[in-house]
Amino acid sequence: MLATDAFADLARSAAAALGRPHLPVVTVAHPLGGVEPAAVRARADGALEAVVAALTRDPEPPAPPEAESAGRLEAPDDLDRFQEWVMAQGWGDGLPVLPPTPARVARLLGARRPDVVVARLAPRRALATVEAVAVNAALAGAGPEHLPVILAAVRAVADPRFNLEAVQTTTHPCAPLVIVNGPVRRALGLHGGANALGGGARANAVVGRALRLVLQNVGGAVPGRVDRATLGHPGKFTYCLGEHEEASPWPPLHVERGFAPAASTVTVCAAEAPHNVNDHGSTSAPALLRALAGTAATPGNNNVYLGGEPLLLLGPEHAHTIAASGWSKTDLKRAFWEAARVPLAAFSAENLARFAVIDPARFRDRVFGDRVPLAAAPEDVMVVVAGGAGKHSAVVPTFGATRAVTVPIEA
Amino acid sequence: MDVLVPTGIATPALAPLARRPPSLDGRLIGVLDNSKPNAGVLLDRLAELLVERTRAAGVRRWRKPGASRAAANVDEIAATVDVLLTGSAD
Repeated sequence: MLATDAFADLARSAAAALGRPHLPVVTVAHPLGGVEPAAVRARADGALEAVVAALTRDPEPPAPPEAESAGRLEAPDDLDRFQEWVMAQGWGDGLPVLPPTPARVARLLGARRPDVVVARLAPRRALATVEAVAVNAALAGAGPEHLPVILAAVRAVADPRFNLEAVQTTTHPCAPLVIVNGPVRRALGLHGGANALGGGARANAVVGRALRLVLQNVGGAVPGRVDRATLGHPGKFTYCLGEHEEASPWPPLHVERGFAPAASTVTVCAAEAPHNVNDHGSTSAPALLRALAGTAATPGNNNVYLGGEPLLLLGPEHAHTIAASGWSKTDLKRAFWEAARVPLAAFSAENLARFAVIDPARFRDRVFGDRVPLAAAPEDVMVVVAGGAGKHSAVVPTFGATRAVTVPIEA
Repeated sequence: MDVLVPTGIATPALAPLARRPPSLDGRLIGVLDNSKPNAGVLLDRLAELLVERTRAAGVRRWRKPGASRAAANVDEIAATVDVLLTGSAD
């Protein structure tokens, strides 16, 4: 296997997660992208000897790894020293955490069986038991009432359609955005109104943060080593909101996705940070569409390269402006899909050549003409109503090589 | 104080690697391009050099459908070639 030196750790941990820590990895200087082919070929010349050795010599098998299973450790009693200790263990996200003492974890678990496996999480392929999820929820500051939502989110990200292996390791800044629907929002105070993504509601904060800690501690997405996001985004600390169903003129996300209105669900999508759409002037759907589509149709976002499901988070006032023009959610999706296109002239020649290989239909054969849509089909556009008063919405590009997954929240 | 460990249950099992041939003389080299930028340039050049310098028999080439997607045809690849070069990450 070949990797650049900057990514050698990730290559080796990928091999180790497959039980093959002794798979030879030959490295060349980083980066390969954005480099003239002649310089890349020169790096191949320099790596030849190591490659021949890797292909013709059996590596020594390492000692069999010891099965690690979650136990307990002695930690400092002092809460300030405890923070430093947690970071040294590699369990934290930088913000203060609460100690996952046996008593606190037991309170989170209630009558649940701790050893039930919720999911196997990539890339580490470790088992997230109910107890392991509760330990991370305890670190994140969650209470017992939040645990069912967190467990549902863990099940959702482990669905193969979500492509967790790639989401966890990519250089792209995607984080699982947890969208909660149904009556559970009210029961938990899980907020979808004013400043829904901006803090102020405990349920939003702890649900998103607990999921992040599970992904890091069980899934193995250690920042900078396995989680290789070039920049990441602040939603990687926590990224959770309720849909503002009561303020929406349309059926909510979970009903669109086949659940009863009275069901409570979690939808996860691997999402970039939201980009605001300010439009205080438009009074009709076609007028407002110009700002929505114009903000979304940019040449650097992953949806234009890879398709997938771009997300529109519509403020309620914008949603009502659109609905007042007689548009259903389906109408909006189609109109947005047709309008939010990036002209091929916006891409560099090098990028066009690269994507002509990866997606020949759109970039070489030009099945959509000279303007590339953000998704393969209108129904791939996701529309969620959230937020409070004001004339703002957000476009949220997603990772592309992933699908949003909705699961029911079980008691 | 005692705290519980948040890392879940790792289930490591050591898997065997395929035996390496003692030399590449007469062997078929496989290239699985992982679709990262210039990965194909690097891997193709290495395969070309292997044929030139080690008397390997030739090269067969595949490409993953995208850098973030798994190759669907790994069994076919394993059955076809003697050794394989591929890329991981960038």
